Amino acid sequence: MRSARQPISARPQAPPISCGGFHRGRSQSGRWVLCGGSGARLVCGAMASGSAAVLARALEALDLDGATDKINLIPQDFFAELCEQVIQHLNHKISGINTGELCQRLQTSGIEINVGDLAKIANIISFLFSTAARNNLSAEELVATLSNAVSTLPKHAVQVIHHVWNEQGKSISVSEDARNMATVGQFIDISWKLGVAMSSDTCRSLKYPYVTVTLKVADPSGQVTNKSFEMTIPQFKNFFRQFKEMAAVLETV
Amino acid sequence: MAAAEQQPPPPEGCRPLSALLGGIAQAAYYGKAGITEELLRGQLYPEAAPEEFRALRAKMGGLLQSIASADMDLNQLEAFLTAQTKKQGGITSDQAAVIAKFWKNHRIKIRESLINQSRWDNVLKNMNWRVDMKSQSRHIDQINTPVAIVEMELGKNRQESEFLCLEFDEAKVNQMLKKLSEIEESMTLLTQTT
Repeated sequence: MRSARQPISARPQAPPISCGGFHRGRSQSGRWVLCGGSGARLVCGAMASGSAAVLARALEALDLDGATDKINLIPQDFFAELCEQVIQHLNHKISGINTGELCQRLQTSGIEINVGDLAKIANIISFLFSTAARNNLSAEELVATLSNAVSTLPKHAVQVIHHVWNEQGKSISVSEDARNMATVGQFIDISWKLGVAMSSDTCRSLKYPYVTVTLKVADPSGQVTNKSFEMTIPQFKNFFRQFKEMAAVLETV
Repeated sequence: MAAAEQQPPPPEGCRPLSALLGGIAQAAYYGKAGITEELLRGQLYPEAAPEEFRALRAKMGGLLQSIASADMDLNQLEAFLTAQTKKQGGITSDQAAVIAKFWKNHRIKIRESLINQSRWDNVLKNMNWRVDMKSQSRHIDQINTPVAIVEMELGKNRQESEFLCLEFDEAKVNQMLKKLSEIEESMTLLTQTT
């Protein structure tokens, strides 16, 4: 069944969209609110006016002190790598930010940080860059606004942000079209294993084969996660058949 | 349901026994709650004394468990039940016949239930998909390319599901198909050797 994607404005009940910008939001008092979280690449109806003040106000609303504590722990080269991945993700050059892998390497180097913290930092950086893009900020403006808002940010982190933005900031094209990526993830890869359950406490003679698959997916904000699940043989056959059907439809469309 | 003792033969305890096995299976394999000994006794063997019934239920439950646990085929079943009829305090040949008939009818369903009882990880509960045309895109060359949106319902048995929604372009579907073919190959090898 084919259906065209509609711009969000055409949809009757658009889900709450986050543009990462600052505008009169849904709060009842009509106060200025920060719209949504992670610097999503969507644009909502009310575009904030382009200025560093926008970023400044937005930064005020975020809880950055906790994040800067963690950022302090990350060595410069790792932080640079993270920022590179974030900006490449915003540029649609990579489908996801590999926080899991990065975290593992950090931990191996003896740095006490967990995936959740790293994911939060990635989100903040993503928000930073996409807001800067939307407001056409130069590297200097970005860094100045950032330093004013967050005085505890380590100098090396600021340098990295300046450098990365300088090099690649111009090529971020913020799509003017509202593309709703809020709910759809990207499939990256699949791993599998085939097993036979021989016996259990409730049944000595189980003997049923099953396949376990792990899907590597990038969620809408870019974080790469693994989702695994089990299928019996009939379930697997059905799964396979569905994908064959999908391929057939994609070919003919 | 009156106990069979009050009726003339055919086989003593035939219908109630079949129903008793059904009740045991409901509780042990089909997850039905509230099937107590009292309930079964009252319904099926009202004339029997509680201790007597308890012994009967235990014996039948034990036999069914042995049969299910070994997933007996007809030959094994016959041998097993015959041995039980020869035992001291075992079963009658009429009872053996009832048990055999019950197992033949319920084997597949009971086995399925046992398999499910040992699946503790996420399972794929459901899967839906559709094909969209990308009408807007980040890259000009992707306009008007079809893309598949797949929704998978994942979750553990009897627990809340997570809905995973993924996008696949043609290349990704082909990548998936390649891996799924590998699985199928391995599966064929496996079923050939067992």
